[in-house]
Amino acid sequence: MKKLTYYILAGSLFLGACSKSELDLFPYNQVETKQAFNTEQDITLAVNGMYNRLKSSGSYYSGSWNIIWDCIADNLIMNQSGRLSQQKYSKWQYNSTDTHGMYQGGYTIVRTANAILENIEKFPAGAFKDNAKGEALAVRAMTYFDMSRIFSKAYVNAVDADSTINYTTTTDYNIKLPKEPLKGFYDKVIADLTQAYSLINTSNGAGRLNKAAVAGLLSRVYLYKGDWTNCITAANNALGTTPNLPSIANFPGIWTDVTEAGVLFKLKNTNTDNVNTLGVNYYQAVGNPLQMKSEYVIEYNLAQLFQPGDVRTTTYVAKDSLYQTNRYNQVVKWRGRAGQPAGVLDAKVLRTAEVLLNRAEAEYRSGATNAASDDVNLLKTNRINGWTNVSYSGQALLDEILLQRRLELAFEGDRFFDLKRRNQPIVRDGTKGDKSNGTGISYDPNTLTMPVGSKLFLMPFPQLELDFNKNLTQNPEWR
Amino acid sequence: MCMCLCISQAWAQNRTITGKVTDDNKQPLFGASVSVKGTTIGTITDEHGSFTLTVLPTAKTLLFTAIGFENKEISIGDRTAVDVQMTSSNSVLSEVVVVGYQTIRKKDLTAAISSISSKELSDKPLPTFTQLLQGQATGVQVTTQSGRPGVNAYIRVRGIGSINAAPDPLIIVDGLPVSTTAFALVNPDDIDDVTVLKDASATAIYGSRGGNGVVVVSTKKGRGKATLSYNFQYGGVRAQELKNARMMNAMEKMQYEYETGYYQNPILDSMIANRITSGALPAGANIFNVTDAQRLGLWQTAASRGTDWRKQLLVKARIATHEITLAGGADKFSYYFSLNKSDNEGVLYGSYWNRTGGRLNVEYQAMDWFKIGTNLGVSATKENQVREAYNNQNAYGATYFTNPYEPAFLPNGKYNPTLQNFNPQEGADNNPQVFNRISSFATMYGEGKFLRYLTLKSQFGINYNTFKEEYYLKKGSNLANILGYDNKRDGGNQDFLYVFTNTANWRQTLANKHNINVLAGTEFTRSSFYSYSMQARNFPTPSVNTLENAAGPYTATTSRAEWSLISYFATAGYDFDNRYSLTASVRTDGSSRFGKNNQFANFWSVGAAWDIYNEHFFKLDQLSALKLRASYGTAGNNNIGNYTSLGTYALNVKYNDLPAAVPTQLANPDLTWEKLKQYNIGLEFGFLDNRLLGTVDYYNRRTNDMLYQKNVSYGTGFASYQSNVGDMRNKGIELSLGYDVIRKKDLLWNVRATYSHNDNEVLSLYTDDVVDASGLGKLKVGQPVNTFYMVRWAGIDPTTGKNNYYKKDGTITDVYNGADAVNLNGKAPVVKYFGSVFTTLRYKQFDLSAQLYYSGGNYIFNYIYRDMENDASDPTSNLYVEALTYWKKPGDKVINANIHDASQRVSYNTDRYLQKGDYVSLRDITLAYSLDNSLLRKTRILKALRVYLQATNLWLSTKYKGVPEVGQINSETSGYQPGQAQLYGFPQVKAMTLGVNVKF
Repeated sequence: MKKLTYYILAGSLFLGACSKSELDLFPYNQVETKQAFNTEQDITLAVNGMYNRLKSSGSYYSGSWNIIWDCIADNLIMNQSGRLSQQKYSKWQYNSTDTHGMYQGGYTIVRTANAILENIEKFPAGAFKDNAKGEALAVRAMTYFDMSRIFSKAYVNAVDADSTINYTTTTDYNIKLPKEPLKGFYDKVIADLTQAYSLINTSNGAGRLNKAAVAGLLSRVYLYKGDWTNCITAANNALGTTPNLPSIANFPGIWTDVTEAGVLFKLKNTNTDNVNTLGVNYYQAVGNPLQMKSEYVIEYNLAQLFQPGDVRTTTYVAKDSLYQTNRYNQVVKWRGRAGQPAGVLDAKVLRTAEVLLNRAEAEYRSGATNAASDDVNLLKTNRINGWTNVSYSGQALLDEILLQRRLELAFEGDRFFDLKRRNQPIVRDGTKGDKSNGTGISYDPNTLTMPVGSKLFLMPFPQLELDFNKNLTQNPEWR
Repeated sequence: MCMCLCISQAWAQNRTITGKVTDDNKQPLFGASVSVKGTTIGTITDEHGSFTLTVLPTAKTLLFTAIGFENKEISIGDRTAVDVQMTSSNSVLSEVVVVGYQTIRKKDLTAAISSISSKELSDKPLPTFTQLLQGQATGVQVTTQSGRPGVNAYIRVRGIGSINAAPDPLIIVDGLPVSTTAFALVNPDDIDDVTVLKDASATAIYGSRGGNGVVVVSTKKGRGKATLSYNFQYGGVRAQELKNARMMNAMEKMQYEYETGYYQNPILDSMIANRITSGALPAGANIFNVTDAQRLGLWQTAASRGTDWRKQLLVKARIATHEITLAGGADKFSYYFSLNKSDNEGVLYGSYWNRTGGRLNVEYQAMDWFKIGTNLGVSATKENQVREAYNNQNAYGATYFTNPYEPAFLPNGKYNPTLQNFNPQEGADNNPQVFNRISSFATMYGEGKFLRYLTLKSQFGINYNTFKEEYYLKKGSNLANILGYDNKRDGGNQDFLYVFTNTANWRQTLANKHNINVLAGTEFTRSSFYSYSMQARNFPTPSVNTLENAAGPYTATTSRAEWSLISYFATAGYDFDNRYSLTASVRTDGSSRFGKNNQFANFWSVGAAWDIYNEHFFKLDQLSALKLRASYGTAGNNNIGNYTSLGTYALNVKYNDLPAAVPTQLANPDLTWEKLKQYNIGLEFGFLDNRLLGTVDYYNRRTNDMLYQKNVSYGTGFASYQSNVGDMRNKGIELSLGYDVIRKKDLLWNVRATYSHNDNEVLSLYTDDVVDASGLGKLKVGQPVNTFYMVRWAGIDPTTGKNNYYKKDGTITDVYNGADAVNLNGKAPVVKYFGSVFTTLRYKQFDLSAQLYYSGGNYIFNYIYRDMENDASDPTSNLYVEALTYWKKPGDKVINANIHDASQRVSYNTDRYLQKGDYVSLRDITLAYSLDNSLLRKTRILKALRVYLQATNLWLSTKYKGVPEVGQINSETSGYQPGQAQLYGFPQVKAMTLGVNVKF
């Protein structure tokens, strides 16, 4: 009997020894990569994931994109009563420790597209496959194009030896990417977008790319490349016969997300997402009664260009807006949806108005002056109350196209790249301050001119990547 | 019939022995164990110290044991009465210690351990136990995360053995592995003793979790006559003052703003505007064009309305603790029962941490050979966790940012949001973030003795922790206005861990010389974690905040994770004649956390000790103890995320409110255990009847297959994946020396000093060096971990007033370039040496004790300094007064650049802000009075009464700007190693406490 007790007790010692399968535990919110592309549903999830990455990448369209490129240029001036954010950009003090997000952020987006493209071929031919492939190709090309806008010279300035980031198409994680020639890079962007255009659906619903959006992106790339004929063709494909710009009445609705008219591609930011970055980039609502505490306000001379009667003036600008004891010209474009949390709204990536202006400029450059003038008038009819058409030509026509571009795309991240694309310097007025009457604190006197060819026109590659990836060499201007 | 006969025969010859057991002072000793040596026959003394024991005729020797006393063996002969006076074990070398899965005599140890007994614990009332560890145990570096009440501490045993895998030691409470967070909920007064296992000989038995040391905690057991005690403590807490730095006062700040030549502060602007309206100033007036007298007038008016924000926001906090315990033991039953309540306010407005808990530990000797027991503890805390963000929502940040010319209140009596647009007092009132935690600890065990030498023990332990968080963004609060919505978040988590342990222990002494102790066991551990978070918006009125009242739910989410561990282990010890000891242990662990190819791993150790003092040939008059120890072995670390070996797509993301999947983790099926190999040599000695006691240890601990992120090119869309990247070494010495200067009946004075030195070095990596997560440091072969990496500042050029920097080649430039960053060899956030000097002076009924703690050899990146002397890149917030001393004319030798030079108005992370973390602190000073025994006896019910006054952190010496005791950077910023940088974390505190202990 006593012996039996011992056996029982000794046996119980090993009750704790469970089977090895107790160690095979798997996560509750992840799937193994090799199981992530088995079904069409998986592809749909991955496509949504791609847009999620576009949205969550802090240096891109739902991040700092809508402020940095305007504050490096001459559209915005720092409000000294703000939180002094983005100082390094406004004061041109950025260096290789500041560009990490622009580099890594771009590749994290591309990685999601590359994974879809590597797996899509095993699916049967058909509309689903074509559309998913088209979206992935387009997202990859769009992101690469924007990374190249950041890290390389303007195409028109580049010689064959000039290089840009690597257009990698693999998900292999052992790669250490070197740079590649800028000109061949543009060919790859165009090839991907062209293929995407042939594959993608006409409509995918708001918040996703479609045929018109891809055509619009192509028009943008051709404009930067200086390929006027293709720019016009692509723009025509994007705009159709009657471009929806939209009308004056509908225009403000773009910025409160009540209309999709005039928006070719935007990244959705739902109330559940509740990301207020686009708004907070510009201002915080503070005090009681609420006032806007701006980080940056509209540069004095630009503010004067926003005329009464122009719907963009009331939609984009709060003139002489009071904060504490001073008045400023504040940006209200990113204030958010009516009655919803401040600064939460969709990120507009591509609008019909830009494509129209791409076309107008391409028409002008290729000698189609009347068509260009008509496009400018079309835009102004849809922006300015009671606009009567004017026949523009010559330098006045170009000036008007560029002015409309600056006004239409103000505070959307276009200004810096537009000057760079056209080989223009950044020239700031050192006599005007941040307040709405032009007094207050002006730009630092050593940041009034960014001459053409300045290294500041292209970002340095991030030091962290250079330290790790010896195949990548710093932009020569920054060495 | 035969059986009957045997029994009656035995019965006939049994005899009964009675006696009395007393202590050194001839006081009856209750609860002492009396047994017939070599048998299981025994009993326990009663409250008068008396015992009665029936023994077999074969019984020759009685064994008397009692915790805190040396064992005593008495030969019975034919006596029927045995009185024994026991000797308390005041010698360090004769103590009993709780080590892995068993208790052994310290004498038999071959391992390096530090133990702290309840005696030392009871003299030092501290709100958290980890504070006590600091400086007490050599080689154990304890850094509190911040001055937040109830906060965890970072415990590092013998340097930083791991980086990615958490380098915290394994904490075992009554056989139960618990997290540092759960450990903070254990009432320190319930702790009986603590043993820190430091070398491989001691930690190998804990296998894959023992690599960074093991802290073994035992809670109290009842013994002796029932004692009811009550402890009370009350005190005040203040923030520590800044060292080597002072904030500008109002006049100084306005002077500085004026000197920038461009910054016009809105307060003065609006005063000027009013005076223009009233005609006192002409139109167009501003701070720069008014007369000196007018300016001074404006400044004085503004200053008179101003606030000392440190005084306003760093409040006088109060702490109060009550505790009742009842403990005792009789015959077969022992019990320890306690209740405690501890209320701790924090020095940041609104913060508090309150703990309420209870414990019941019982043990019952059900049969001669079998006992059962259970230790049950429950603790609940409630905490208001104020913000530590890098903005004015953080009250401590606000003491730096908010300008001293701003009033604390508006004319209507409300909090002034100030130019920072946020008043942290308003935030604390209207946006409370309340945490509720409940931790339950339960250990149940049964233990049987068989075949004389064998003990089988089966133990089941549970640690169940719940955490509940409520964050209310109250409608109408400033933050709700800024964000444009009100919101309530209810979130929390629960983790449930159980561990089932079975051990068999064989202990036998042969021929009075050979002591054998073998233990083998199995263990299964499983932990599951579940969390939830719900939010709702648009509440009807601020006074209701349960989610049911809100217009609608907003988000809801839950998550889950699990891990498991299967273990087999054995340890054996052999001791010959109290002179030579040998030990060995092995353990096999299988963990769910590792790659398919490497789930199981083995760990082992060997150790030897030689008690030279017990050698016959070795006799030195002065010497009273001498022991040499050596050990070698391995242990591991599995403290990484639960599923990191898998390449995965995350499904917990959305786009446009639709489900989505994004690549989140790269696969590493070869991911394996981090292995820590350590050898240790130690010497323990005592002189002059152990008046002088000392220990010296040397160790060398090598981490192989160190777990860390292996970088990939950012071009891959990933930054890194979890991997085994290289080797690291910690080696060092530990010294402890104590001397009883005076040992008289009424006067005792002793001094004890500890010194720990550790050298950390990365020995190999998959590449030359890698930048760490903070971006401030690197892992670099040949250097301590996280050695700082940044551009070197070369001072202010006396000719130009510009900041100068060293280029990579050592030449000087005035252009900052990130590519000029270099490894600052030897400068790392790793503490190289630390220790304490303790002294206790006891005179009659008074005792005075003090602890001086020192620590150094580390560097800290001082973000606060960077912000507070920023070359006018941000004149809108307040600054250190030193910022006023900037370059004004050629020849000026100063550390701040010309603020009129716009190109200099930028601040970069350079080594200008990298500062030595060396300091000495008067950690503790306590004066106590205990009521005399003769007076106590007159009261008839009182057993003890002690009153004390304790002050912590009264004095600090450092060259650091600010307060150098840096744990976490702050509670809301991640990516930094402990002590790497300082950015407005909850300030460190000093305290003054009055306490009373009464025993009935």
